[in-house]
Amino acid sequence: MNKEVIIKDLEEIVGKDFASNTAEDLFMYSQDPGASEPRPVDFVVMPRSVEEIQKIVKLANREKIPLIPMGGGLTLSGLVIPIKGGIVVDLKRMDQILEINELSRYALIEPGVSTGKLISYLNELYPDLQPAIPDAPPSATVVGNALIHGSGYLSQKYGNHGDMINGIEVVLPNGEICKLGSCSISDYWFSRGPIPDLVGLFISSFGTMGIITKLSYKLYPKPKMRDVVFGMCRDPNNIPNLVYKITYTDLAEDLLLSKTDKPDYVKDLILVMVFITGDSEEELESKRKMIKRLYRKNGAQFMNMPERTLKGLLQKPQFAAAAADFRKGGGFEYVGSFMPLEMIPEASKRAAEISYKYDIIPTQAIRIIGKGHCVMFAPTFAFNRADPLDRKNARDALDETNKLVLELGGIPWKSEFEGQKLIVEKMDPNYKNLLKTIRNILDPNGIMNPGNWEVS
Amino acid sequence: MTSESYQDWKDIVHRCFRCGYCKFTHTYSDFNCPSYKKYRFETYSTGGRMWLIYGLINNDLKWSQNLANVLYACSTCGNCTENCRFEKFNDFLVDIIEAARAEAVKSGFCPENQKFLLERTKDPNNFNPYGEKNSDNINLKTKYNLPEKAEWVYYIGCTSNYRQQDLRDATLRLLKKIGIDFTLIDEHCCTSPLIRTGQIDIVSDFMNYNINQINNTGASKVITSCAGCYRTLKKDYEKLGADLGFEVLHTGELIKTLLDEGKIKITSNYEKIVTYHDPCHLGRHMDMYEIPRDIIQSIPGIKFIEMKRNRNNAWCCGAGGGVKIGYPDWALEISKERLEEAKETGATVLTSMCPFCKTNLADANKEFNMGFEIIDLIELIDQLEIEVNE
Ligand SMILES: Cc1cc2nc3c(=O)[nH]c(=O)nc-3n(C[C@H](O)[C@H](O)[C@H](O)COP(=O)(O)OP(=O)(O)OC[C@H]3O[C@@H](n4cnc5c(N)ncnc54)[C@H](O)[C@@H]3O)c2cc1C
Ligand code: SF4
Ligand code: SF4
Repeated sequence: MNKEVIIKDLEEIVGKDFASNTAEDLFMYSQDPGASEPRPVDFVVMPRSVEEIQKIVKLANREKIPLIPMGGGLTLSGLVIPIKGGIVVDLKRMDQILEINELSRYALIEPGVSTGKLISYLNELYPDLQPAIPDAPPSATVVGNALIHGSGYLSQKYGNHGDMINGIEVVLPNGEICKLGSCSISDYWFSRGPIPDLVGLFISSFGTMGIITKLSYKLYPKPKMRDVVFGMCRDPNNIPNLVYKITYTDLAEDLLLSKTDKPDYVKDLILVMVFITGDSEEELESKRKMIKRLYRKNGAQFMNMPERTLKGLLQKPQFAAAAADFRKGGGFEYVGSFMPLEMIPEASKRAAEISYKYDIIPTQAIRIIGKGHCVMFAPTFAFNRADPLDRKNARDALDETNKLVLELGGIPWKSEFEGQKLIVEKMDPNYKNLLKTIRNILDPNGIMNPGNWEVS
Repeated sequence: MTSESYQDWKDIVHRCFRCGYCKFTHTYSDFNCPSYKKYRFETYSTGGRMWLIYGLINNDLKWSQNLANVLYACSTCGNCTENCRFEKFNDFLVDIIEAARAEAVKSGFCPENQKFLLERTKDPNNFNPYGEKNSDNINLKTKYNLPEKAEWVYYIGCTSNYRQQDLRDATLRLLKKIGIDFTLIDEHCCTSPLIRTGQIDIVSDFMNYNINQINNTGASKVITSCAGCYRTLKKDYEKLGADLGFEVLHTGELIKTLLDEGKIKITSNYEKIVTYHDPCHLGRHMDMYEIPRDIIQSIPGIKFIEMKRNRNNAWCCGAGGGVKIGYPDWALEISKERLEEAKETGATVLTSMCPFCKTNLADANKEFNMGFEIIDLIELIDQLEIEVNE
């Protein structure tokens, strides 16, 4: 690889200010806020247009150099740190909200639109609409999050964020532009079908199938008022039934569970948070009453919470990054995992044991997705960035938890490449073959984020 | 700020999670870190800088001119300190950047343009970063008939004395008009530009000189119309361990007190639409937001409209932290964005309380033909009739 030629070419494509291989830029992009070790990066480039992306893809094919598409870079699991070196394509300059279709309720956006920008834009100009966003910091991109099949405050009601994609425009690994979804036929980006649904290929594939340059994302009605009804549950075995009963009622917008062993008085408790919405105080009050009754009848107990806690929970996004300060060391990572509801009690108990083994206070967040069709089970491991041992402990704990999740019938989500290997090992061989075949056809030079989802 | 403090930050700088809250406005509507908004590489966000600094402390990175330039491409506007959510860490972000700049200087990587600030200020003919012959202010003392000893010292500051004399003269006239017993000193630069750019060698000497000069007048209060001098005299000197022995006030504070006590009253009308720009060094650095607004509201006939981003959410003018001298074109671009925001209010007058903001905003106003009247609030008040009650 002739680095001088490549940097010159990149500069030609995006302009001198937006291509770099300086030591400090490479240092920055060789690591993320999670527990992964840094890995080398060769170049960073920030395109502004689809044409520029096409040129970058063609250059990568010519030089056989990997491309790593990047949004906010906030998955924590090193998904935008190259595994085999290459060019990090930071897409945050492509940050335009191209269209809001108010009636058909979707937003057509570029890949660099942050969750913060979209929510703020809608709050100001379309106060009756809301987007599903994660509790990641507001600099996470909507596209990055939807592509990893994220979840957030609307997921209990409407499902995972990947399911909210109406269609995409993608620069394929050969540099061609392809539109998928209704947009391939119509001017309206309102639906994935009714045609063979190829959008799924690009979800959870971690930038291995192409670079998404436009995405239509569903928007939802925004009720005027929101509140949280808190409960606590002493016996984790009651959780699956309690969740089942709550989700049966259609009362909850969001349903979160949390468990931590500090301070001592909350140890052995699971905190239940049912988010309710309404257009009037009467509506909220009647929902509060119903939730309280459900708590009583299903092994939980209503509890009051200080105003400050409530205020924090009602933020969009919530300040989940607070976990990075648990050890005053700027770091945490979690195994987000898709789990069947029935496995939560055992998963919670055993993940706590893993935490103790690595000297980390057990902290778990659980978000119910799509009426309990799936549960996002997230044991969190905080670490001190400045302490290599602490960081290694977090990595080891993550690895053990990945294995636990797979053993219990769950699947690690947005997993580091080590975790992806564990998943691939367990995968049906024909699924593996199909995945490999599709990738080879789409990307014969193996330029798209190689090392991820590798099937040998 | 001492250079040792750079190593002191070692124990907290890694608390940065690189989450990026610091890039935004309060509502995430836009990027509010001028540096990130321009350069867009993660490296140029506050978090990026924190990680670079940690990399340097840890020897994962070596000093280079490029790296130093990243640290200097920051207007020290303090938006990050407002929006970073990590308590007992967020307060120090700008301090950490300044301490790292001091280390860059020590390691021989101070950017060339910034070096002028020190060279000119050190020059015994100047004692100011503009390279102007030092004014001992004797002529002004004579012109305004000022005593040797007084209750107050008006610390003019280099920008007002050498670039924005209108503000200096307006302040002098106003103080006279309202009957303040004040005098002037033979000033040296307060060293704000040097502290902000990490060129700290002469800071203590200059500080001690200024304090002595002030104490020689017997004054118990110092007043300044400059946001940068105000921050430096009030906050940095204290941090440097100075025992001031006098109170430091911004002219705005004095006017507001006199208005509240009924000692002065603005009696003439000002029939224009006005908006106010919060100087970073007065607002986010010193928490002074309401005083200028209260003063504006006390002016009969004025129509005051806020810009979208205001108070601790304000967009920086782009002059601070060595950006005006280091990146003159970019400094104007930053101001242009502020002027465009001001345009949205329908105002014809943009007022502020800092001569350095005024300089940069006025330069951009001219460069981009924006058509504003840009005036410091003190100058604006000086144009009006004031009733003084004993
Ligand atoms: C404090 C914290 C809390 C979090 N909470 C949540 C939560 O509640 N819910 C949740 O879902 N997630 C959560 N996350 C995880 C993660 O931050 C988010 O999912 C985030 O939205 C990912 O978006 P991103 O822009 O950071 O993606 P990136 O990390 O930049 O990218 C994610 C993946 O998508 C690929 N990619 C990105 N853009 C493109 C593109 N245009 N084309 C092709 N491939 C692309 C990347 O290569 C990578 O593999 C949290 C993270 C943190 C740090
Ligand atoms: S400075 Fe604060 S807000 Fe900015 S990235 Fe670091 S921790 Fe996050
Ligand atoms: S002080 Fe202002 S310009 Fe500098 S990093 Fe913080 S927000 Fe950005």
